Amino acid sequence: MSGKDGTMSGAELRKALGSRSIDHVVVLGANGTMGYGSAALFTQAVPRVTFLARSREKAEAGLQDAIKQVRSPTVASRADVGDYGEDLEKALKTADIVFEALTEDLEIKREIFDKVEKSRREDSIVATVTSGLSINQLCEGRSDSFRKHFMGLHFFNPPNVIVGTELIAGDDTDPELVDFVEAFSRVRLGREIVRTSDSPAFAGNRVGFKVLNEAAQLAEQLGPVLVDRLVGPYTGRALTPLATIDLVGWDIHRAIVDNVHQNAADEAHATLKMPDYMANMMEAGVLGNKTGGGFFKRDGKTRLALDPASGDYAPEADIKLPDLSYIDDVAKMHSVGRYAEGMALFLAAEGDEAAIARKVIAGYISYAFHRAGEVTETITGIDMIMGAGFNWAPPSVLVDTMGAGSAVTMIEQAGLEVPAVLAEAASGGGKQRFFDHPQVNVGKYFVAS
Amino acid sequence: MANSEVYILGGYQTDFARNWTKESKHFSALMRESVLGALEQCDIAPEEVESAHVGNFAAELYCMQGHLGAFFTEVHPTFSGLPTSRHEAACASGSIALLAASAEIEAGRYGLQAVVGIEQMKTVAADKGGDYLGTAAWYDQEAEGIEFPFPKLFGRLGDEYDERYGLKDEYLAEISRLNYDNAKLNPNAQTRTWYMNKEQALCRTDDNPSIGGRIRIADASQVTDGAVCVFLASREYAERYAKGMGKKLSAIPRLKGWGHNTARLRFDDKVAESRGDTYVLPHVRSTITSAWKRAGIEDANGVDGIETHDCFTTSEYMAIDHFGLTKPGESWKAIEEGWLEIDGRHPINPSGGLIGAGHPVGATGVRQLLDGCLQVTGEAGGYQVEGAKNFQTLNIGGSGTTSVSFIVGVD
Repeated sequence: MSGKDGTMSGAELRKALGSRSIDHVVVLGANGTMGYGSAALFTQAVPRVTFLARSREKAEAGLQDAIKQVRSPTVASRADVGDYGEDLEKALKTADIVFEALTEDLEIKREIFDKVEKSRREDSIVATVTSGLSINQLCEGRSDSFRKHFMGLHFFNPPNVIVGTELIAGDDTDPELVDFVEAFSRVRLGREIVRTSDSPAFAGNRVGFKVLNEAAQLAEQLGPVLVDRLVGPYTGRALTPLATIDLVGWDIHRAIVDNVHQNAADEAHATLKMPDYMANMMEAGVLGNKTGGGFFKRDGKTRLALDPASGDYAPEADIKLPDLSYIDDVAKMHSVGRYAEGMALFLAAEGDEAAIARKVIAGYISYAFHRAGEVTETITGIDMIMGAGFNWAPPSVLVDTMGAGSAVTMIEQAGLEVPAVLAEAASGGGKQRFFDHPQVNVGKYFVAS
Repeated sequence: MANSEVYILGGYQTDFARNWTKESKHFSALMRESVLGALEQCDIAPEEVESAHVGNFAAELYCMQGHLGAFFTEVHPTFSGLPTSRHEAACASGSIALLAASAEIEAGRYGLQAVVGIEQMKTVAADKGGDYLGTAAWYDQEAEGIEFPFPKLFGRLGDEYDERYGLKDEYLAEISRLNYDNAKLNPNAQTRTWYMNKEQALCRTDDNPSIGGRIRIADASQVTDGAVCVFLASREYAERYAKGMGKKLSAIPRLKGWGHNTARLRFDDKVAESRGDTYVLPHVRSTITSAWKRAGIEDANGVDGIETHDCFTTSEYMAIDHFGLTKPGESWKAIEEGWLEIDGRHPINPSGGLIGAGHPVGATGVRQLLDGCLQVTGEAGGYQVEGAKNFQTLNIGGSGTTSVSFIVGVD
C-alpha cells in the first residue's frame, strides 16, 4: 500500500486501522526507560496494558514510573503487572501486541522470544523497540507465524515527548501488518512513522550518532564547551550534541556507534569510532547525566565542563573561547526569521572555528544523503526522522535553506564526498527543493542562539 | 453578483506546538514565516500582493508591540508602501480581519489580499496571560483580580446549560477526547503528542485540576504561539490564478457565506437577554444562520464539516445545538451517536479545534478558514473529511460576544 513514510492517506490509514483491533498489549521489560515509556503510551489508546518484568516488584516500579511520566491516572486503571513466569504465559493468551523492550542484547531478547513463541496467539503482533539490532537476526529460526508477525517499532526516548518512530519490517514480515502498525501508531498513538530498512542503527541513530560522535571526537582537542557552541542551536537543533550524549547516556552512545562501526562499512567509518577518553571514563563509571555528569555536570548553580585530557572539570564560565561573534550574527538573523541570511553568514564566516563547524554540518548532510536508498527509500525518510526524532534541522532543510550550490561548496571545502543528487542540483542552478514535507515548518529548527 | 465573489487561494499555518520564546525569536519571525510560507505554498510572487490585513488580539500586552499592520511590510522589500491594517475583536480578531479583507475585495478595491492572524502568548507566565485574556471580557467588572477569568465564564456557560436542560460532564470529557484524538492526525496541532483520553478528561484529581468551576485543564484550549496567512482574491484574480496553476476556477475554494454579530460584552447581560429563548446564545445562532442564508443553504446538512470555536468544551457543546445538529439542549445526543467524529454524520473540528490544534487567539479565525479550505480541496491529509465540498467555521470573541462564521466551499 504505502512503503514510504507519510504516504498513507487519511482514508488508507483508517482502512488499515479497521483490519484488526488492539485490546491488549503486553510490554516485556516494562521496568526499563523505554519499557515503561512505551507502556504508558499504549495505555492512551489500548484498554489493557500488561507491564511485565523479571519480578512483579520491578514491573510495579515500572508502572509507577509510567504514571509519573505522563501524569495520568488512566495508566493505572488500564494496567496490570507481572513477571516472566506464569503471568507472561497467561497474558500472552490474550495479547494482540507483544512489545519487547528488554536490554539491547541479542541473547537476552532471544531468550524471552522463546517464551513468547511458546504461548503467543498465532495472530498476535510481536514488536521490538530495539534501537539497532537486526530485525531479521532477532527472529531467525522462529516459526513462520512468528516471523510473519514480527517487526521493529523503534520509539525514541521519551516516547511521550518525541513522536518520531521507526518502523522496520523483516524479510518475512506480512506487509499488511506493517500497514496496520503504521496506521495504529499514527492514528492512535500520534506517531510520526518512518519506515527504514533493517540496517545497523536504522536511519535516525545511524545519521544522528555519527554527528554526535564526531562532536565527541572534536571535544578531545577543543573541549566540550567550544564544540557545543560551534555545533549549537544556530546550526539547526534544540539541544547541543555533547549535552545530548550526556542526556541519552554514554553507554547508549557507545552501543550505537560500536554497532555501526562494526557492522557498516561506510565512507565515514573513522568518525564512528568512539574516542578512547570516553571509554576510559566509562570504566571509571561515567555514563552522563544518569551518573551525575559526563561532558558537563552541575555543582549547585554552576555548570562545569570536562577537560577530556585530564578528566577534570572546570566552571564553564572560566573557559576561554575564541572570537565567536559570527554565531551571534547568525542568531540575530534567525531571531527575526531570516534563516537563509543566517546560514549565508555561517557559510561566509572566517576563522578556523567556523570551518570546523561547517565541516560537521557538511558531514551531516553528506552522510545523510549518501544513506538515502540504503537506510530509507529516499532522503525524505531520513529528513523526517532527523526532524521528528532528533529535533534537528533535517539535511534537506539545511540544503534548501543555504542553496544546493552553497551546500556543495561547503561539502567540498570540508574534503568530503559530494552526494550526486546535490552536485546535480547545484549544476542545475540550485533551484531544486529537497525537503518534501510542505506541512512541516522548517523555521522551527533554526534556534536563535 | 458574480463579480463580488471572494476566493481563497490557500495559505500556511505555523506549527502551533512551537514555543517562539524558547526559540529566542521575535514576533516578526512569526509573521514572516506565515507569510513567506503562504507565498510559497500558493506559488504567488510577493509583487502580486496588493494589501494586507492583520488580525491580532493583544500584542501590546504579550509582546509590548503595537502597529502590527506595519510589520507586514518587514516581510519582503516589495511590501514596503502597501496599504495594511490591524483588526481586533479578542479571539475573533482573525475572522474580523478576514471580513474586512473580503469586503474590500467585494468592493472591487483589490484583486489579491493577504490576511494574517497572529498571536505570540508564551512570552509571559500562565497567570499573567490569563489576566491579559481577561481584557476580552469587561475587564474591571468580570476579570480584574480573578485568577483565570475566562475558564470561569465558560464554566458558567456550562452551568447555564445544566440549569436549562441538564448537562453531564462525561459529554464534555468526550468533546475533549475527540479534539485530542483528531489533533494526533494534524501535523501542526499543539497537543498532537499530549497524553489524553476520556478517563483522563474525566479525572477529578490534581492530574486534571479545575480552573473555573466545571472547567478543568482537559476542558480548555491552549496557550499557543502561532500565525496563519491566507490569500483572498477577487474572481478576476482567481480566474487568472487558476489558469496559471492549471486548475479550474471551480476547484478554488470560495467564500460562500458569512455571518457576524456582536452581543453585549458581559456574560450576565447575554444570558439575561436569552432568558426564555431556546438558544443560550441567540446571537451566535444568528451568526450561523445568516451564513447559511448568504450561502443559500438551509441548515448544517449543507456543509460537510465544521471548524468551531472550542475555547472550552462548553463552547463546543453550545455550538452543537446552535448549529442545529440537535434540538436546543440536546447536544449530548450528537456526542453519544458519534456524529462529530471525522467519519461521522457531522464532523466537528477534524483539525483538533482550539483544544487540540491550539488557540493563538488572533490567529484562530484564519486557521479555521484555512482548515476549511484544506478540507474542501482534499488536502487535509490525515484529518481529511472524505469528499468534503463545503465547510463552515465559527469563531467567537469574548464570552460569546463577537461571533463570526464563514462557509467556504468548492462548486
